[in-house]
Amino acid sequence: MRKKKKILVVEDEAHLAKGLKFNLEREGYDIVVVDNGQRALDALAKDNFDLVILDLMLPKLGGLEVARQIRAGDIRFPILMLSAKSTDKDREIGLEAGADDYLTKPFHLPELLLRVKGILRRWEWYRQPVLDHEKFHFDSMWIDFSTGQARGQSGEFYLTTKEAQVMKLLVGKKGAVVSREELLEKVWGYDPDTETRTVDNFVARLRKYFEKKPQKPEFIVTVREKGYQFIAKDSA
Amino acid sequence: MNKLRTLFHPIFVFVGVQVAWIGLMVIWVYWYFKNNLKLEEFAEKLRPEIFDSEFTWVILLEGSFLMLIILAGVYVIFVYWNKQARLNRLQSNFVSSVSHELKSPLASIQLYLETMKYQKVSSRDAGDFVETMLTDTARLSGLIDNILESSKADPKAMRLQFQPVEIGEFLKEVVEAYKRQFEERNCRLQLDLDGAGVLKVDKRALRMVFNNLIGNALRYSPVGAPLTIEVRNRKKYCDIHFIDQGIGIEKKDQKKVFKKFYRAQNVDTQNIEGAGLGLFISREILKNHKGRLTVESGGRGKGTRFTVSLPR
Repeated sequence: MRKKKKILVVEDEAHLAKGLKFNLEREGYDIVVVDNGQRALDALAKDNFDLVILDLMLPKLGGLEVARQIRAGDIRFPILMLSAKSTDKDREIGLEAGADDYLTKPFHLPELLLRVKGILRRWEWYRQPVLDHEKFHFDSMWIDFSTGQARGQSGEFYLTTKEAQVMKLLVGKKGAVVSREELLEKVWGYDPDTETRTVDNFVARLRKYFEKKPQKPEFIVTVREKGYQFIAKDSA
Repeated sequence: MNKLRTLFHPIFVFVGVQVAWIGLMVIWVYWYFKNNLKLEEFAEKLRPEIFDSEFTWVILLEGSFLMLIILAGVYVIFVYWNKQARLNRLQSNFVSSVSHELKSPLASIQLYLETMKYQKVSSRDAGDFVETMLTDTARLSGLIDNILESSKADPKAMRLQFQPVEIGEFLKEVVEAYKRQFEERNCRLQLDLDGAGVLKVDKRALRMVFNNLIGNALRYSPVGAPLTIEVRNRKKYCDIHFIDQGIGIEKKDQKKVFKKFYRAQNVDTQNIEGAGLGLFISREILKNHKGRLTVESGGRGKGTRFTVSLPR
């Protein structure tokens, strides 16, 4: 039997937490609820979770700080932020702190459940190994998909979750063309706020890391009207 | 960009304008004494009849007086500008915290309604959800009451309807509405009504005061912390103490917490929602009862005691 997915709900509003637990359990998830940021970090340190649903306004340690601390230890761990702060700036701050998705209160139940499903599906895909080993070498560079660490043209650094996911998809299909739509679907889960231009921006950033001349890319090349292609020989 | 904003800060602009005017004054006096007098001597030789000895001082005084008026004008504009800027800032903070506080109970109500719409819910669960939603509507209603009361132009002109109320029974009634929240927060309530008697109060207004104090005690205390409500008689007053073991209030904030929109800013409160209205309104209501609302706290982490004093 497949193991139930385990979700940590961090919410100090007792009513909302109870409602979330009820609904997510109905969907077949295993739920643990905590009511402050410090307890969330303790719970994450003790147990294995597949997703954290994180409120921003939390006593003791705020949601943003919790997200930053989670990201400092694991760049890939899925975080869904749930907050009453609804401006574009709030959303931007939440996503920058490391959230994979950001939902504002009050929210629609079906939308929340779909987003949880989407994040877990993408997480599942990302966890599948691309190669026999998680470290992928090309030219004199490498990417470690398990930690997000990489070596680019100007030394070692860490990729963000999304950057790592884009690279993983391109590397996983190396030689083949990956369309912008596929990248959007797999990495962003077709968030209505995401435009196809977002993919181009991410690719431009990745070229700066890995290409000698980002204007004349050797590894991540554009295939006109189709998408992107990763061209490289393994040197592992 | 930030540097530019700092440069145009009202205080810098004000100081800049003052310095500019003082500079102008100095230049004016300097010019007057150095050049104007020479010019006059020269003119006097040509047309002595147009000058009398008094005239020169009048011009100097007129010029100085004009500049002083401008200086005073700039000062008045600055004072009002600063006042307006402060009000705008407070209003925008208020709108953001109120909308935030409205959204939490609203999100809870929407979640339970949609749960009942999309999931199969047993009648027991449905009953429980309805109770939860009713608690949330009571919270929304309390917040809206606070906003309406605080928006009245003159809180002193509150129209109160005084009637004799058995304060012990009334407290029991108010506390009963919080039964569910006490359970949820695992809060043990100790009600000591020894000194309770009949007082002449406005029930609706006093309910707001009690709701604000109990609501604050729950909000600013950790789960599991107890709350004590004591009624004691003291000379001509009846004191009702609300004693919690929550995060406490630092000495420097103890007077300020009664100001409209004021919220203590520290690590413990930064993530707790609030509009900064409850204590302001409660104090105004009690003033209108010829009573008082006071606060005592040992400081951070040492709990808080709010005392409602009503005349007997």
